[in-house]
Amino acid sequence: MIIPAYLAFILAFLATVSFGILFQAPRKTLWTMGFIGAVGWVVFVLLRQGMEYTSFNANFVAALTIAVLSEASARLFKQPTTVYLVPGIIPLVPGLGMYKGMNQIIANNYDVGMSILLTACTDAGAIALGLMMVASIFRAMKMKSKKI
Amino acid sequence: MSLKGMNRQETLDMAMLVGKILLKSGAETSRVEDTITRFCAHFDFNGANVFVTPTIIIIGDERPDGYSCICRMRNRTTNLRLISEINDFTYNLQSWPLDYQQTMAYLQSKLAERPPYRTALLCLASGLGSAGFSGMLGGNVHDFVAAFITGFLAMQLLKALRGYRPSAFWENALAGAAIGFVAIICCLVSPQCTLEKIIVGAVMPFVPGLAYTNGLRDYIAGDLISGNSRIAEALLFAVSIAVGLAFVLQLWLKWGWQL
Repeated sequence: MIIPAYLAFILAFLATVSFGILFQAPRKTLWTMGFIGAVGWVVFVLLRQGMEYTSFNANFVAALTIAVLSEASARLFKQPTTVYLVPGIIPLVPGLGMYKGMNQIIANNYDVGMSILLTACTDAGAIALGLMMVASIFRAMKMKSKKI
Repeated sequence: MSLKGMNRQETLDMAMLVGKILLKSGAETSRVEDTITRFCAHFDFNGANVFVTPTIIIIGDERPDGYSCICRMRNRTTNLRLISEINDFTYNLQSWPLDYQQTMAYLQSKLAERPPYRTALLCLASGLGSAGFSGMLGGNVHDFVAAFITGFLAMQLLKALRGYRPSAFWENALAGAAIGFVAIICCLVSPQCTLEKIIVGAVMPFVPGLAYTNGLRDYIAGDLISGNSRIAEALLFAVSIAVGLAFVLQLWLKWGWQL
């Protein structure tokens, strides 16, 4: 079922802010992190359903978006990057795949379960890759500005 | 009054406390290592070696007559506010107003402090998060409400059981069982609900997707041991939730009732 982008934005905003509260984030950062998570999810949905990217690529691009926004707002609001990154990637994170895969394995459907788990693994890899790429670029920029 | 002129022992003591707070709040291992190294270097303690995994912090000196200390970390939570405050502290060492004793007291109080959001708000957030996810993954309005109720009650149960100190495995298995039970009841009450959409929303606050992604991040950054332990933790949690849920659902089917 395809939901319209504005509804996806609102729901992802809600989910991200809720997880921000569950992770005890500072109150003043909640709005920003909700925005970051929602933008990331909308990018993912548009790429995956609108332009039919593969799951890996869509996750990668969405993770890049989230990481860039998080690094920017961390510098803007003088907070550590983690505060924005951890709730921000929550909508993308393949928790559902892990649970579904384990559920299938428990129900004796080993082949289905393993393939779902592997998909979750590659998706998580794509997200981690996107985050690390942006983080290392920002670190390199910081190093360079320090040397000059 | 400032932190200037701390000796090696005091530096090590405070660095360990800072690392402890960070790790307990769920910071990445590389952040903990970075912060401790930076802290030691600021007080002219060069050559400090730090080794951090999700369960242990080791800080040592390279010299044979140097100091070293170890801290074993048993329970971790996620508390982003504390990470942010410690970040402020370590970046403002230059102009920090308190002296050694006061700073140690300040950090100790931070370690013992209760998290800012209370249980009721956390349960509400869990419900809203579940509802949001069930909507994002294609549920209708009935699923949205049912996922809210399910997520709320499951978190309530978890918080009520906290006093008995269950291990993480049992905690998650019980949460899974509660989710299955409440979701089935919601489906019985309102026929427009779909069981799967409720469950996928409601398991989200408990599912370890974040630990898994962080584990892979650790791998890519080169922290192999923390990567291993985080991924093992994520798999264990996924198994425990699935066990709890599958138990309830299969019992339901076994007794011959319709899903």
